[in-house]
Amino acid sequence: MADILDILDIEQPGGSEINRDTIIHGDKVKKKYVTAKAVKRPEGMHREVFALLYNDSNKDLPPLLPTDTGKAYKQTKAKLGMRKVRKWTWAPFTNPARKDNAVFYHWKRVSDETKEYPFAQFNKQVSIPSYSESEYNQFLKSEDWSQAETDHLMDLCQRFDLRFIIIHDRWDRAAFRDRSIEDLKERYYGICATLSKVKTNPWSNLTTTVNGEKRIYHYDAEHERKRKEQLRRLFDRTQEQIDEEQMLIAELKKIEARKREREKKTQDLQKLISRADSGNIASNNHATNNMDTSNNTGNVSLNIARRHDRKLHKKKLSSQQRPIRAVETVTVEWSGIKFPEARGAGVWLRSQRMKLPPGVGQRKTKTIEQELRLMNIDIAPTPTEAICKHFNELRSDLALVLDLRSALVPCEFELQALRHQYEVLNPGKTLTIPASICNGPENEAKPTLEIIDVVGSPSALNNTI
Amino acid sequence: MSLPTDFGPDSGGRIKGLVIVKPIVYGNVARYFGKKREEDGHTHQWTVYVKPYANEDMSAYIKKVHFKLHESYANPNRIVTKPPYELTETGWGEFEIVIKIYFHDPNERPVTLYHILKLFQSPVTEGAPPTVGRALVSESYEEIVFQEPTQLMQHLLNSVKPITNGPWTHDTDFEEKKEKTLEKILSAQTKVRSEITVLKEKLHLAKETITKFKEEIAKLQNNPNANILTAM
Repeated sequence: MADILDILDIEQPGGSEINRDTIIHGDKVKKKYVTAKAVKRPEGMHREVFALLYNDSNKDLPPLLPTDTGKAYKQTKAKLGMRKVRKWTWAPFTNPARKDNAVFYHWKRVSDETKEYPFAQFNKQVSIPSYSESEYNQFLKSEDWSQAETDHLMDLCQRFDLRFIIIHDRWDRAAFRDRSIEDLKERYYGICATLSKVKTNPWSNLTTTVNGEKRIYHYDAEHERKRKEQLRRLFDRTQEQIDEEQMLIAELKKIEARKREREKKTQDLQKLISRADSGNIASNNHATNNMDTSNNTGNVSLNIARRHDRKLHKKKLSSQQRPIRAVETVTVEWSGIKFPEARGAGVWLRSQRMKLPPGVGQRKTKTIEQELRLMNIDIAPTPTEAICKHFNELRSDLALVLDLRSALVPCEFELQALRHQYEVLNPGKTLTIPASICNGPENEAKPTLEIIDVVGSPSALNNTI
Repeated sequence: MSLPTDFGPDSGGRIKGLVIVKPIVYGNVARYFGKKREEDGHTHQWTVYVKPYANEDMSAYIKKVHFKLHESYANPNRIVTKPPYELTETGWGEFEIVIKIYFHDPNERPVTLYHILKLFQSPVTEGAPPTVGRALVSESYEEIVFQEPTQLMQHLLNSVKPITNGPWTHDTDFEEKKEKTLEKILSAQTKVRSEITVLKEKLHLAKETITKFKEEIAKLQNNPNANILTAM
C-alpha cells in the first residue's frame, strides 16, 4: 500500500516512514493488536469453564473453516523496497552527438536531471586522415587512382564512418569507375599507412605501439578477395555438389580405416611370425640339448623352456614310444594358448588343468572344439597327467594353426591385388603367385584374359594400398 | 578309524615338493523299471557314486561326500560319511549332480565334481522302449591331486587299506581308454605341428612374394617405358 500511496503522492496518515525497524518488528506490532483483542476471563468465572470457551490462545482453537491465512509453517516474506520510491519526470533532453540541437523528451529521474544524455558516449567518431595538396603529390600519387577519386573516397569514409559496404553503395559511379570493396579498402588503408609513416599522426586508431615501435595496420586485399571468393563458392554449391562432397568424405574415411586395419594386421602377422620363429628355435635347440643329455648349457629362455617340458619329455620318451624325429620337426612350444602354471599347495582336480584360460575368446574356443571333433578327439578326455599335458599342447598348437591360417588369408588377398595392379600397369604380362600359397585350385594362376572383366574392382583396391 | 593326534603344533605345515595323486571314478548306474510307476511317475532307479580307482579305502582321508540333487527331491543335500560313497534314488529325469568331497584335514579345501545323471541311452532310438534289466553305466575318471599336503594329510593318504581282498574292477576300462586317448592326441599333435610348419613356410613365401611383387610394381611405376621387363 505504502508504495502506491507514495507513487500517487498521497500523504500517509500518521506519516510513518518505513524504516528498518518497522520492517523487522512489523510482525510484533500486529501480534500485539491480535492479543489485545483476546478476551479476558471475566471475574468470577471459573478457570475451567472459561477454558471451554477460550483456550490459552486463539490459535489452538480448531478453525471452523479451512483457512490458509495462518502464519504457521510459513516464513515471513522478504520485504523489498526499503527506500521510498524516487520520482520520475517527463523532461526534455538534447543529444550531444547531434549537431542540430534537436530537443526530445523522455522520462528520467529527478535526481538525474543534471546529467548528460548517457547514450551520447557511444557515438564514436572515426578520425579520417587528411592530406594537403602537396602531401598528396609527394606521397600518395597512384596510377590507378586520380586525386579526385581519392578525395571522393576520403569524403565518403568521413561521411559513413568507414562503413565500407555503404561507401561502396554510395560510390559515385557516374564520375568514377566502379570499384570493389576490397579496392576501396586497399586504397584507404594504403593512404593511412603512408600518412602515418610521414606525419606525426593524429589518427591513432590504425597504429598501435608495441615495444615502442609503431605498427601499421596492413590490409591484405588479395587475401580478402580470395577469402570472399572462397565463401562465395561455398555458398553457391548445389545440393548435388554437397552430397557428392559428403560421399567423398565418407569414402575417404573408409579408405583410411581400411588402411589402418591393414597396417594393424601386418603388425599382428609380424608378431605371429616372430613368435612362431622363437618357439621353433627354442624347441629345436631344446630337442638337440635333450639328445646331448647335457643340461648345463643354454641361455635363460632355453632353461625356462626346458623346465617347462622336461617332465613331458621323460613321459614321452619312456611311456610313449614316440619317434624322436617328430620331436625335432615340432615347431611351436609355448605360443598359442598359455595355460596357467601349476599353482601352490592344496587339493585340486586334474581335469581343472584342462580348462581353457579365460583369455581365450568364446569364438576361438568353439573353433578349437570343432577342430578336435574333426580329429575325433574327445573335448573332455580322461584326465591323466600325460593326457592333460598333451591335450593342452595340442589345443595350443591348434590355436596357433588357426591364427596362421587366418593370417594367410589377407596375404593371398594382397597378392591377388598386387597381381592385378601389375597387370593394369603392364598389360599383357602377369606375375605368378607360387601355387603352394594358394589353397584351392581355383585360385591358381588364371590366364591373363580372364582377368579383364574384374579389373574394375582391383583398381579400386589399388587406391587403398 | 582312529585319527592319530600326535602331530604336534605344526601339523598344518605343508610338505614342500610332495605331490600325491589319488585317482577316482565317479558316475552313476541306472536301471529302468520297465514302466512308469503309478504313484509318482518315476521310471528309473539310479545310484550315483564316488569310488577309488585303485583298491583303496578312501575313508582314510575322506571325511564326507556331499551329493546335491535336483531341487525337486526332498532334502536334495545328501551327505554320505562312510564308504561306499553312493546314493540310490528313483526318478524320471536327468540333471546335474554336484558332488563335493571333504577331507579329514580342515586345512585342505573340499573339491567339487559335476556329474550329469544319465538314465537314457544316447542316442535314444525312436519308438524302441528302454531296455529293461541291463543297467546303464555312465562314469568318469578323475584324479585328485594333493599338492604339498599337510603332514596330517600325508599321513592319512599313505595309510590307506585295501577295500577288498578280491579283485577291484570297474565297468569302464579306463586303462584302455587312457592309452587310446593319449595315442590319438599325440598323433593329432604331430599332424598339427607339421601343419604349423607348412603354414609358416607358406606365410614366409607369401611375405617374400608380396615384397617381390611390390618391387616389380615399383620398377614399373618408376620406369613406365620399360614394358619389356619380363615378369618373374
